[in-house]
Amino acid sequence: MSVVSFTRIEGSNFKKAIEDSLDLLGYSFDKKIQNVVIKPNMCYYWDFSTGQTTDPKFVAALVDILREKTSVSDIAIVESDASAMKCKYAFRFLGYKKLFKDYNDVRMINLSEEKSEDVTVKCNGKLYTFMVPHVIRNADLKINLPKIKYTFKGIELTCALKNVFGCNPYPLKFEYHPQLENVIVSLNKVMQFDLCIIDGNVVSGIAPRKLELVMSSKDPVAIDAASAKIAGLNPRTIKYLKLASREGLGSMDFVPRGESLSQFKALYPKKTLKKKLMGSAYVWAFRLKLAKKLGIG
Amino acid sequence: MRTVKLGIIGLGYIGKIHLRHCFKIPNVKVLAVADVSTKALNSAKKDGVKKLFNNYSDLLKDSEVEAVIIGLPTHLHLKCAEEAAEAGKTIFLEKPMARNVDEAKEIISVAQRNSVKLMMGYPMRFNEQFGSIKEQMEKGLLGDVENAHATFISSGPFFHRAEGYTPVPVPDWWFNKELTGGGVLVDMGSHIINLMRWYFGEITDIRSYLGYRFNMDFEDSAMCLAKFGSGTVGLINVGWFSQQYSLKLDFFGSAKNVNIKHSPSNQLAAAVQMLITGKSKFFQAYVDELRHFIDCIINDLSPASSGKDGLKDLEAISLAYKNQISLK
Repeated sequence: MSVVSFTRIEGSNFKKAIEDSLDLLGYSFDKKIQNVVIKPNMCYYWDFSTGQTTDPKFVAALVDILREKTSVSDIAIVESDASAMKCKYAFRFLGYKKLFKDYNDVRMINLSEEKSEDVTVKCNGKLYTFMVPHVIRNADLKINLPKIKYTFKGIELTCALKNVFGCNPYPLKFEYHPQLENVIVSLNKVMQFDLCIIDGNVVSGIAPRKLELVMSSKDPVAIDAASAKIAGLNPRTIKYLKLASREGLGSMDFVPRGESLSQFKALYPKKTLKKKLMGSAYVWAFRLKLAKKLGIG
Repeated sequence: MRTVKLGIIGLGYIGKIHLRHCFKIPNVKVLAVADVSTKALNSAKKDGVKKLFNNYSDLLKDSEVEAVIIGLPTHLHLKCAEEAAEAGKTIFLEKPMARNVDEAKEIISVAQRNSVKLMMGYPMRFNEQFGSIKEQMEKGLLGDVENAHATFISSGPFFHRAEGYTPVPVPDWWFNKELTGGGVLVDMGSHIINLMRWYFGEITDIRSYLGYRFNMDFEDSAMCLAKFGSGTVGLINVGWFSQQYSLKLDFFGSAKNVNIKHSPSNQLAAAVQMLITGKSKFFQAYVDELRHFIDCIINDLSPASSGKDGLKDLEAISLAYKNQISLK
């Protein structure tokens, strides 16, 4: 069974928390690795203090660990352009360019501008073709640094699996929304990450809150299932998690290690009944073509 | 009462808002729109606009159009306003008036040469709550306003929203100082400086502290300390760094203090309001400023916020950029 570790961040010491988290997992880096891809979560140009995006200092802590424990010579921090976000601004606005300006071995890569190749994959009985960037294909180690976030009805939660959606170089990502579940799982099949480390220092929930949590796992389904539980959701009701499990990406059952999940769950700013009702009303406003009339479309 | 035939140039965020509001004003007919986006033009066509142009020069050649709303990116204001004035159209120009003082002076000059009215888009002057403070001040209810704090904080282009909660792509020009003339002080500061000048008269001195949280070459926050002709000292606080929208005024008078907070209604209240009345209280000031613009055309009145106002605001902003202070 997959292992998910839970570690508390003490005194904003991300590096120690990540190291402890990986120790609990029993994970050690291969000293020989040269090329590493790190995929943080960048969402529009939201600041990390809102809990919506990975803290660049968290990324920097991981970079320092990699430099200490491996012979890495090329670290690629990757993201792709999206419908309402451009990497050339996101890396700058969110502080990555400034933080890594003196790191010669760290590059910021816009996957939408990288060389890639088409890869076709079968998922849920359908065939999907996606561009896989060479930088991801060729990496010795791929690390996923997602955030735990609520999202719209139907998908409910985004975390490790959904973060890989941002590795798809095609920028007009809203076009995938009608079949998002299949697309998320397909992309994870063509770009499998080796390790997931969640930056849960600040979580967005229904309002930002400091949770001081680091979670790690090699299994993206397990870590997403654990995240769903922290967010007060039943992972077995989230369709794309079930699909990911069926498609062999991991297991929703996991062995927890370290701090207790329940203490983080108790602190997580969960959806209230009012929020849930508002979410449903919002969906119905669009379905009934009332959104424009109501001033929300 | 006669109907004013209007053209809207630029169907970006603000242009679309104006188009929607024009349909609520009985003596306005939006005859034509111009935009480089075919999608935006098609949307306007669906709303009933008959004449669609992908080049504003062609719209300005249309003799049936008597007035135009210009809602273009800031760097295009001067050229478009020049062409509009030379075509004899009455002009409603979105804030900021231009990228700099020189461009603003040229716009005023060309409007004067061609004897066309020029109104600046400053909806806050039409906000009912802000108007009530003005009335109280004029009646002397506050006494002397010794100091005044004005705050306008939002996410700006870093999380660009339409009225709903779906972020939309931010055009590149937003992030190019050469095209905007500056950062938040130009964008949101122009609103607040204009409003404060309305209350307290011309700015006689101003200092600024500028913030660069998002690592760009333009400021994303600014705190200005300004002295006004009335003697009032104002603290102007504008920023693009927060997901929460805050627009509020705190005036401290020798007789009375007032504070006003203007914020969007919560989603549910706004939706119910729209469903029942078809109006959004939050955007009412935008409708009222357009009504005033139309009133100025029909009744040959001088606009409440003129080109000279736009120029004065840019002069104050220019001085604030010059008089920067640093903090260790």
